[in-house]
Amino acid sequence: MLSRCLPTTTIRRHATLVPKAIDSSWRHAITLKNDSVNAIVHLASEDASGVLADGPLHKVAIAVKDNICTSSMPTTCSSHMLEDFRSPYNATVVRLLTEAGADLIGKTNLDEFGMGSLNTYSIHGPVVNPFQLANQNESWEMREKRAAGGSSGGSAAAVAADMCYAALGTDTGGSIRLPASYCGVTGFKPSYGLISRYGVVSFADSLDCVGVIAKTTKRVRRVAEAIMAPDPRDPTSASHTLRSNASSHSPPLSAAHLKGLRVGVPEEYFPSELDTSVITPTRRVLSALESLGATIVSVSLPSTPYALSAYYVIACAEASSNLARYDGVEYGLNVTAQRTRSGDTAMRSYAATRSQGFGAEVRKRILLGTYALRADAFDNYFQQALRVRQLVRDDFNKTFRSPDVRFMDSPSTAAPDRPDVNIIVHPTAIQPAPLIYDDVQKKGLDAYVQDVLTVPASLAGLPALSIRGGDTDGWPIGVTIVGQWGSDDMVLRVGEMVDMSLYD
Amino acid sequence: MVLCLRSCRHGLFSTSRRCFSSVRSHIEDKRWPGWQIIIGIEVHAQIKSRRKLFSETTVPVAGNLPNTCVSPFDAAFPGTLPRLNMQCVALATRVALALKSHIKSRSTFDRKHYFYPDLPAGYQITQHYAPFAVGGHLVLPNDAAVPVRIKQIQLEQDTAKAGMGLMEIVSEPDMRSPEEAALYVRSLQSLLRAVGASDGNMEQGSLRCDVNVSVNRPGLPPGTRCEIKNLNSVKFMMSALSSEIRRHIDILESSSSVPQETRGFSEQTFETFRLRSKEDAPDYRYMPDMNLGTLHITEAQIQNIRETMPELPDATRSRLQKQYSLHPRDVEILLALDAEKDIPFDGETAGPSSAGAVRYFETICQDHGQGVREKPRDPKVVLNWIIHELVGQLSARHETFTAQRVPSSWLAELIDMVHDNIITRTSGKSLLRHILHNPSEESPKQLAHRLDLIALRTDDQVSSAGTAPTAGDIDLAAICQATISQMPAEVVAYRAGNVNVLNKIVGHVMKTTRGRANALVVKTALQAMLDGS
Repeated sequence: MLSRCLPTTTIRRHATLVPKAIDSSWRHAITLKNDSVNAIVHLASEDASGVLADGPLHKVAIAVKDNICTSSMPTTCSSHMLEDFRSPYNATVVRLLTEAGADLIGKTNLDEFGMGSLNTYSIHGPVVNPFQLANQNESWEMREKRAAGGSSGGSAAAVAADMCYAALGTDTGGSIRLPASYCGVTGFKPSYGLISRYGVVSFADSLDCVGVIAKTTKRVRRVAEAIMAPDPRDPTSASHTLRSNASSHSPPLSAAHLKGLRVGVPEEYFPSELDTSVITPTRRVLSALESLGATIVSVSLPSTPYALSAYYVIACAEASSNLARYDGVEYGLNVTAQRTRSGDTAMRSYAATRSQGFGAEVRKRILLGTYALRADAFDNYFQQALRVRQLVRDDFNKTFRSPDVRFMDSPSTAAPDRPDVNIIVHPTAIQPAPLIYDDVQKKGLDAYVQDVLTVPASLAGLPALSIRGGDTDGWPIGVTIVGQWGSDDMVLRVGEMVDMSLYD
Repeated sequence: MVLCLRSCRHGLFSTSRRCFSSVRSHIEDKRWPGWQIIIGIEVHAQIKSRRKLFSETTVPVAGNLPNTCVSPFDAAFPGTLPRLNMQCVALATRVALALKSHIKSRSTFDRKHYFYPDLPAGYQITQHYAPFAVGGHLVLPNDAAVPVRIKQIQLEQDTAKAGMGLMEIVSEPDMRSPEEAALYVRSLQSLLRAVGASDGNMEQGSLRCDVNVSVNRPGLPPGTRCEIKNLNSVKFMMSALSSEIRRHIDILESSSSVPQETRGFSEQTFETFRLRSKEDAPDYRYMPDMNLGTLHITEAQIQNIRETMPELPDATRSRLQKQYSLHPRDVEILLALDAEKDIPFDGETAGPSSAGAVRYFETICQDHGQGVREKPRDPKVVLNWIIHELVGQLSARHETFTAQRVPSSWLAELIDMVHDNIITRTSGKSLLRHILHNPSEESPKQLAHRLDLIALRTDDQVSSAGTAPTAGDIDLAAICQATISQMPAEVVAYRAGNVNVLNKIVGHVMKTTRGRANALVVKTALQAMLDGS
C-alpha cells in the first residue's frame, strides 16, 4: 500500500531505530509510527538519557533537525554528501538543551541541506504527514499520503505524531512555519540572531534561523527560552543590550486580554494562488484576537509580490557559497577522479564528489546561485535582490508601531498614515498539506510558491509564529503571527492567548 | 548587516588603477632609453597575531606538528562560523596610521570563491567592496623622496597559511624603476616591523608581492599592464621586473601589442612566464560575507591605537639625534641593529629582555642604577659599548644582537665600573668577553671581583675617591716599586734625562697587572717614585 503511494523511494528501515527498552511514551510512539512517518532518521541511544542534567527541561524529550550538529549522533543534512558525517562538536543550541536537562531523543528528517518545501528531497526518503483528527479513525494505510512540508518536515511530523515534546527546526524561508502548518502544530521562527546558529549547517547565513516546533505555543516558549541566548561563537547573535532594547519597545500585555493590541492584516497576503480553504481558519484566529480585545486593521505591505524572487536569488547565492566547502577533502563523501595525463585531478575529484554527493534540487540551487553571483550578473540579480530585501524591511518598519532596533541609526521615513500595528496576522501557507507525489515534482516552480507567504518575515529577520488556526477537509491550516524584530516574547504571549481562546 | 553595496561598485578598482601619477617628470633610464616604466605593487603581509584572523586557533610556530593548529572552523566544518580577531584589526590600524591612510568607520568582508586544495571553505574571506582603509602614502627614502600613494589596505585570510591574518597593501602605480620598487618594499617592510604589525619576512613567506608593470613612450598613455604574482624576495622582484620590462619593450619594438596577462616568475631562469590571459581570468563571484557583517571602527578606537602605537623609524631617528646628541651615522647603526629584533605577537610591548637595540640603548642611558648615580650615563659612551664592544664581540662569535644576551642592567654596571675606575677599560672588555663566553648568574661586579679584575689603585687614589680600600689597593704602589727595582738600567736612563724610557717601565707594570691598572695612574705613580727618591 505504502509502496504504491511512494513510487520512487521506499521509506528506509533504520536498525538504530529499535530502542533497547521502551521507557517513555515518546519512544513508544517512535517505535510504533516512525516506519510510516519517517520523521526520525536517527534515534539516540538510551544510555545517554541516564545522565540528564537537572535543569528547566529535565527529561523533556526533544528531537533535533539533522542539520544541527551533534557530536553523539550523525548529522547528515539528508545528503549523500554527509551520509557518514559525524560532527566533532555540538551546536550551541544542542549544548544549551543538554545543559537544561533535555533528553535529545534523535535527529529528524529534512529536505537536503534545508532546501525544499515538502520534505521530499532527502536521502532518508520523504516524511509522511502524520496529522489525524481525533475523531478520524481511518487506518494509516487507507489515508492519503500528504507531505509534511519542509524543510523541517521531520521535526513537525515528529511533534504531530507525539514522538517528542518538541523539536528543533531551522527556518530559512519558511522551513519551520510551513511544516508546522501542514502538520497542525505550532512552529516558531524567532527574530534573526536571537538563537545561536553556531553548529547549524548553513544554507543561507543571512536568513537561517533555529526555531522550535511543539504542539502548543506554551511548549514552544518553554523550549525557546532555554536556547534564546547571546553566543560569542555566532557573530550574528544579538547582544543582551539589543535584545532588551527591542523588548522595551513591546507593549505590556495583560494576562487576561489583548486590549490596545493592534493587529494588521496585510492585503497582499491573499494572492491568487491562495486556496480559499485557508480563509476560514485565518478568520477564526482574527475573531479570537478581536474577542480578546485586539483591534484588527487592514495594512499594506506593497513589496510582498517581489519578496519570493528576491528570496530565491539571495538564498541560492548564499547556498552556492556555503556549500562550496563540500569538496570531499576534509570530511564527507569523497569521489576520487582517475589520474589522467591531462586535466587537474583535484578539480575533477571535486566535480565528481559534488555531482554525486548533492541531490538534484541542491545542485539546481547551487547552479542558480552561482549564476546570480557572476561578475556580469551580480548587479542585476544579487544586488537587485538586496534592494528588494530592503524594501520588504521598509514595508514592515512603516507598518509596525515599534522600530527595528537593529537599524536605529538610519531614521525610517515615518508614513503619515502609519497603521502602527503591534503584530501582523496572515495565513501561513497558500493551502493545506499537498499530496506527497501530487504533480508538484513536475511543476518545479510550484514548490517555490509554497513559500510566498513565509519569505517576507525571513528577509526582514522578524519573529513569526505559526499556530493551528483550524482544519479544512480533515487537514490543518496554520495562521502566522509576525512581530517587529526582537518582539518574540510578545508574539509568543499573543500566540498563547489565541491557543487558549481556540482550544481550551 | 551588509547593505552598503550600492555605493561601492566593483568596477571602481580597475578604472582608477589606470590613473597613474603624471606629476613626476620622466627621467631617462640608460637601460631602456625612450621608454617609461610604470610599476604598482600589492604587498601581502602576514599579521603578527597569536591567533588566526577568524578563529581562536593559535598560529603555527616552529616545532608544531602538521594539523595541530587547526579548529573545525579552519577546516571549514559544517556549522562553524567566523569570529573576527580584533588584534588583527588593531595591527592593521597601526599600519594605516603609519601610512596616513583614511581608516573607514565601516568596512565589510566579502567572499572570493574558487576551488583549490588549500582552501577548505571554497572561498577566501577578504575585503573586496569596502576595504578597511583607503589612501595614504609612503615616501621613499631616496634623494628624490618619491611619495608612493597607497590605494587601499584590506584584511583577508592567508589561504596558503590556513587562515592566518593577512594585510593586503595596494599601492598606486607610482614607481618608475625596479630600484624604486625594491626601495618601496624595503621601506614598507621596515615600517611594518616598526609598528609591530608583521615580521615582514620574505624568506619565510610572511611578506609576498604581486607587481603590476607596464611600459609606454614618455608622454603617451600607459601601456598594457601585466601582473607578476607571488614574488618572495626583493631580489627576485627586481629580476622579474627587469625581465618583464625587457619582454614588453621587445614586443612593443616589434610593433606588436602586449597582451594583458597574469605571469609567474621562475627562480631557475630568472624570467617571467604566462600563468593566464585576461580571457582565462577566473570569475571569483564576490559576495558579501553575511556572517561577519560590518566592521565598525570609532574615532576613539583609532585615537587609542594612535597613542599606544610604537614610534615610527623616522621619528625615532630624529629623536635619538636630538635627545642624545648622537652622530647620524651612529644612529643609523643603532636603527639597523634595532630592525633585527623579534616582533612580538599582537602588538604587545616586548619585555626588556626581548626589546630591540634602541630600547636597550635608552634603558642603559636612562636607568640610573637604583638612584645611586647623580649624572646620567654618557649616551656616546653607552652607544660605543653597545655597537663596538658588545656587537663587535658578538659578531666575532657569529652571533647577532639580542637584548637578553647581556641584560641591559649588566652592561650598565660594567660601563659604570669602567667610568668609576673600578675596572679599567681593558678589563671591561675582557669581562664582557667572559660574560659572553661563560653564561652565569653572576653580575659583572661579582665577576670582576672573582676574576681579580678590580683596578689597582694607589693610596692617593683611594683616599681621594673616598671609598674603602679594597684588597688590591696597596698592590699598585708595591708593583710599581718592585718594577723599579727590577729595571735598574731603565731607572738610570730615566734619571739621566731619557724621559721616554718611562713608557717602558709603565708597559712593564701594565704587563704585570694584566691590564688591571690605569696607565696614566701608573705613570704618575712611577714619576712620583722616581723623581722623589
